[in-house]
Amino acid sequence: MRKTLVAALLAAVIANPAFAQENPDSDPNPNSSPFPASASLSSVFNPAGFGSEWENTVPVIASAPWSGPRTADGQPDVSGNWSNTIANHANFTDPQAGDPGYPSTAASLPRGQRAPSRVSDPAGGQIPYLPAARALQQDYERNFPEPSHAWHVEPLARCAPAGVPKSFLWHGWEIRQYPGIVLFLFDSGTRIVHLDDGPHLNDSIKLWNGNSHGHWEGNTLVVNVTNNNGKALFGRTGDFMSENATVVERYIFAEDGKRFNYVATFTDPTVYSRPWTATVPARRFTEADPTDDWFNNVSVANRPGQPLLHERLEQVCVEHNGPSDGGLFDLPPDGPVIDR
Amino acid sequence: MKRKLALSFALATLCVTVPLDAQEQTAPVADIPRLANGKPDFSGIWQTLSEADYDLQPHEGRRDAPPSPGVVEGGALPYLPEALARKEQNFAARATDDPRLRCYVLGVPRSVYYPAPFEIFERERDLTLVHQFGHQVRTIHTNGTLHPEDQHQEFWLGDSRGHWEGDTLVVDVTDFSDATWFDRAGDYHSTDLHVVEKWRFVDRNTISYTAIVEDPQVYSRPWTIEILLNRRRDKNFELIEDYCFTLRYDKFYPHKATQ
Repeated sequence: MRKTLVAALLAAVIANPAFAQENPDSDPNPNSSPFPASASLSSVFNPAGFGSEWENTVPVIASAPWSGPRTADGQPDVSGNWSNTIANHANFTDPQAGDPGYPSTAASLPRGQRAPSRVSDPAGGQIPYLPAARALQQDYERNFPEPSHAWHVEPLARCAPAGVPKSFLWHGWEIRQYPGIVLFLFDSGTRIVHLDDGPHLNDSIKLWNGNSHGHWEGNTLVVNVTNNNGKALFGRTGDFMSENATVVERYIFAEDGKRFNYVATFTDPTVYSRPWTATVPARRFTEADPTDDWFNNVSVANRPGQPLLHERLEQVCVEHNGPSDGGLFDLPPDGPVIDR
Repeated sequence: MKRKLALSFALATLCVTVPLDAQEQTAPVADIPRLANGKPDFSGIWQTLSEADYDLQPHEGRRDAPPSPGVVEGGALPYLPEALARKEQNFAARATDDPRLRCYVLGVPRSVYYPAPFEIFERERDLTLVHQFGHQVRTIHTNGTLHPEDQHQEFWLGDSRGHWEGDTLVVDVTDFSDATWFDRAGDYHSTDLHVVEKWRFVDRNTISYTAIVEDPQVYSRPWTIEILLNRRRDKNFELIEDYCFTLRYDKFYPHKATQ
């Protein structure tokens, strides 16, 4: 689909899924601003709340043998459409507090009434940054509402791949499975997980989505992610890893196939004082669930007279390369970017 | 070796007894990968050796293109007169205006013969084509579903519905945007583009890919291209993401103390 406006529009709606549902990606004029002329940055970033769809707790799912259905090659069958359940990427450690500078109404509630930090270890819920790295994160968070430099614009607003782990804090995604492969189709990017434990690409190659090799342990998909370029950020609070980071992901699937927890340990001695772990809860969508433009971002397949079937349509975001408010910050002209 | 000899013998026999067109559609090729349901399994990483992306039409070598006899049946593309003028403008501006230079989605059929690898993941219900270049993922549905009722969604890669005719995958692709070109020479189309693709194994490591293209706004009649796709068999070969539209702003990220 020609999603010309998508980055700016979606950037505006991530804190409020209801907004997304009212604004399908079908701007008749691809060159127009996605915002009404009267809309200010604050109005579109200041949602009424975090949405009734969000949950504020994280279920416990234990690693265990898998007793559910399997693919022909013996993997636990987890193919289908999924979404995270607690919040988008507005705020990594206080997921339902809203964007930096634009707190949600839930932000005024006692902390215990909002979803917990995605940082599940250490216990305090904060990423154990080294001091210089913490300063960089805070600089981004402070400048996010009114960016004054190119690096204060979130890369996702320029259509960059959402990367690891932000792809799981964004739109819903689809998992497709093949012999030796788990394929993730995200709204912004694709990950091919090779079920072979390597070899990984040469260390000199750095990628938005890294290089993924893994294996199954019972109900858990274990993936080693190397070759990260560290560019995608984890969200609008500016949390990050560097190009020296490695990530070990554990996708722990519930026995009934309806849920999984994404539990990822980040190791990067140049940015963190110790390894730390993020937990992102996710749920499955089936044909029994309503579709929308956010969590369950699929369409009804056209097959008259047959049972309801959902299918994923093309997701493309390549041509909107400005920041969220439509301005440009230090971007070179919109000319060729390659010479090959 | 034994297998090769047997195959050669079988093909030789077919060549003698079956007209070429019929052979293309119906002759089963021995020793090709198949899914559990018996359909040919195109899973793997593929790439053309052809010069199609430089220019579909016959051309001499020039500064920005190696020579090629062309891949269009009959040689030239049947442009309508007014459309030819636009193609010539595109050609003149190709060094800056080819959408590929911004790493945009290349469209169909160009994404197939662009000279970079793409990986096919095949299930009974669909084939997923993940292209190394840009952010291009196409699903070819083979589960009997029809094109969406809304035929004005203007997909970069169109909407692809396939079915099997023997061992040939026939794919009907509609509902395109007009944002893509067919090649680096500025050959182009409108939103009325309609493509019928035919995918079939020549041998287990080679696919014959045919695209029948029609666009009544631009061309006076349908035209056909055929190229071969070769399986990438390099040791440990895998796709390496190439979201090169990010190169404009790559340098701004990640956080760097030097900023």
